[in-house]
Amino acid sequence: MLTSKCLRGVVTGYPLAINATIINITEVDYNPEFITRIIPKLDWEVLWRAADSIGHSDGLPQTIEPKFEENNEFLKKVHRVLLEVDIEEGNLVCPESGRRFPISKGIPNMLLTEAEVQ
Amino acid sequence: MEKLKQINRKCKRFSARLKTSKGVLCVEKPTTNIVLCNVGQATGFLKEDANNLQQELPTVNILKYIAEKGESHSFLVFTDVKSSQLFYEAHNGKAKAMNGTLIYMNYVEEVPSDEILCTADPPKGLQIIPNFITIEEEIAFITLFDWMDESNLKNRQVKHYGYEFRYGSNDVDLNTPLDEKIPSQCDILWERLRAQGIAINVPDQLTVNKYLPGQGIPSHVDRHSPFGDTILSLSLGSDVVMDWKHHSNKYVPIAVPARSMLVMQEEARYDWQHAIQPRTWDPIVQTRKHERVITGDTRPRDTRISLTFRKTREGPCECSYNILCDRFKNDGEIDNVLASHLEELHVHQVYEQIAGHFSTTRHKRWPRVDEFLQSVPSGAVLLDLGAGNGKNILNRNDILQIAGERSAGLLLECSAHTRAISGSDCVRLDLLHSPLRDACADVIICIAVIHHFCSEARRKQSILTIARLLRPGGVALITVWAKDQTKSNYLDTNKENRDTDLVTTIGGVNLPIHENRTQFQHSDLLVPWKLRQIRDKKLTNTSDTFLRYYHVFEDGELDDLCKPELEIQNSFYEEGNWCVVCKKL
Repeated sequence: MLTSKCLRGVVTGYPLAINATIINITEVDYNPEFITRIIPKLDWEVLWRAADSIGHSDGLPQTIEPKFEENNEFLKKVHRVLLEVDIEEGNLVCPESGRRFPISKGIPNMLLTEAEVQ
Repeated sequence: MEKLKQINRKCKRFSARLKTSKGVLCVEKPTTNIVLCNVGQATGFLKEDANNLQQELPTVNILKYIAEKGESHSFLVFTDVKSSQLFYEAHNGKAKAMNGTLIYMNYVEEVPSDEILCTADPPKGLQIIPNFITIEEEIAFITLFDWMDESNLKNRQVKHYGYEFRYGSNDVDLNTPLDEKIPSQCDILWERLRAQGIAINVPDQLTVNKYLPGQGIPSHVDRHSPFGDTILSLSLGSDVVMDWKHHSNKYVPIAVPARSMLVMQEEARYDWQHAIQPRTWDPIVQTRKHERVITGDTRPRDTRISLTFRKTREGPCECSYNILCDRFKNDGEIDNVLASHLEELHVHQVYEQIAGHFSTTRHKRWPRVDEFLQSVPSGAVLLDLGAGNGKNILNRNDILQIAGERSAGLLLECSAHTRAISGSDCVRLDLLHSPLRDACADVIICIAVIHHFCSEARRKQSILTIARLLRPGGVALITVWAKDQTKSNYLDTNKENRDTDLVTTIGGVNLPIHENRTQFQHSDLLVPWKLRQIRDKKLTNTSDTFLRYYHVFEDGELDDLCKPELEIQNSFYEEGNWCVVCKKL
């Protein structure tokens, strides 16, 4: 959902690349209905590449199969990568300008300086 | 003998009580420090009372009396163990406080620190020349300038020479000079400055301020454009501590003695704000190497008369300090640069400083906000823009919740809360330069945020951001503080509603300082936040007050701001706030 389009001179600013130095896995409640509902709202290709770039794409298909809502194994994997894998430390990188947005204590800092604003 | 045993029993009991309830560790072996177990600030025991006890013992030297606010015990620090032992033996269980209670004592290893370190350097361009005039000259100036007339400002009395200083606009009218010019007795001052190598243009405007003990002046910078690059202030009658604040958060207290000349140039003139706390006393500030230390010692204030000399000028200011400069102002309309400076000073920095305390006061969701959030359908993507400490993030695992907040301090509180909630996350962002994709949200809430933007254009821009982030058909709940507080619990019925005469000027914009819990008299104002800190699980009062900028909304103003990008579905007033539920078409 994040973009660097707010940077001066950046046209699309999406998707941001992820550099993770610390990744935390926290188990949380599995709610298959929620996962089923959220999948159509995701940019699947971008999610897959993001997961792949931090080494968490194991078993995730590159495209969504038609009747994914019936595939519990698949939903569990999406649940894992979406809700349980957290980047604790690292940064997000703008694909156009290379500007890095640091992630510290799990919180990405997307603030810009006055000079960077569009 | 029996009496001594009784005293010892009492002391032991106090020792145990101090240990469990206050964490003060008493020791048997004599040390240089004594805790007075049952007298302190809260019981009205003063430094003078301690000194009186010491006077009976000529060989005893007390170094310090430390009385923490609100405590019924206090500490004495002696120069040596012999002194403390003599004092202990002479007075423990025998000496009486003013109200007649016997004072009980114990030895302690450690005493609390009553000092505050200030590591920031004093403002560049600030000079204090002590003993600039003699005592005789001081008396002559006081005779020349003192007066007895009715007070014209709530916090101090003023008189003008050369030009009348206009408090509404904080400038002078060059077309209407006063008949009374700066008295010629002041001419010796310019010569003396020149002799010290300080070249100045001879001032043509003088404001005389008379401060009684307890009176002060709020934090301000003298307006840039109407006055030249040097401002002088001669102090008569009393020492005072002036608080200097820089917008980068630096704070420096500076002792200004009577008969001294304060010269403000460069950063001190243009880039720092100064204030005098409304107190009857001042802390004693010591300079040790590069640090300033506010000691626990205080000194009472006397009536102080200050002579502020300025040189008037025409045209927009030409300084190189942007943040407090008024040259950005055009026709009462706050432009974008100034608005963002104002927000930096009076919104962002304030929230960083008060984050911890602020968060402890914000737990409960407002009823209508809660109702709205509970009705969000399962599977929705929800953005909370200006999420604060995250109190509006629901414990629901069937929606995706993103909390966006600008304050790092509040975000830490927020992330501690969201970590426990599946499908919720935090991001540090600025609403006006949001790093979120278009149409990414089904639902947005923006609670008590938009009133912090300092211009109409920026408030509109925040609405446009919300409209951009909503998908077509998506809904938002937006709330802002209402100017009309008559139907809320905000007003304190014991406080009378009156216009404030406290005004702070930033970049040429005058912002009235609101009296808390009274009806709003202005639309754009500063609302004080009195900081309390949690120390040892106890809320303590500090003297720090921070000013938050607010634009309070008129009836219908929020609806107008939302249209036409968002369609109003429901508009209502709840507990002093205007609220709208609106839809992206």
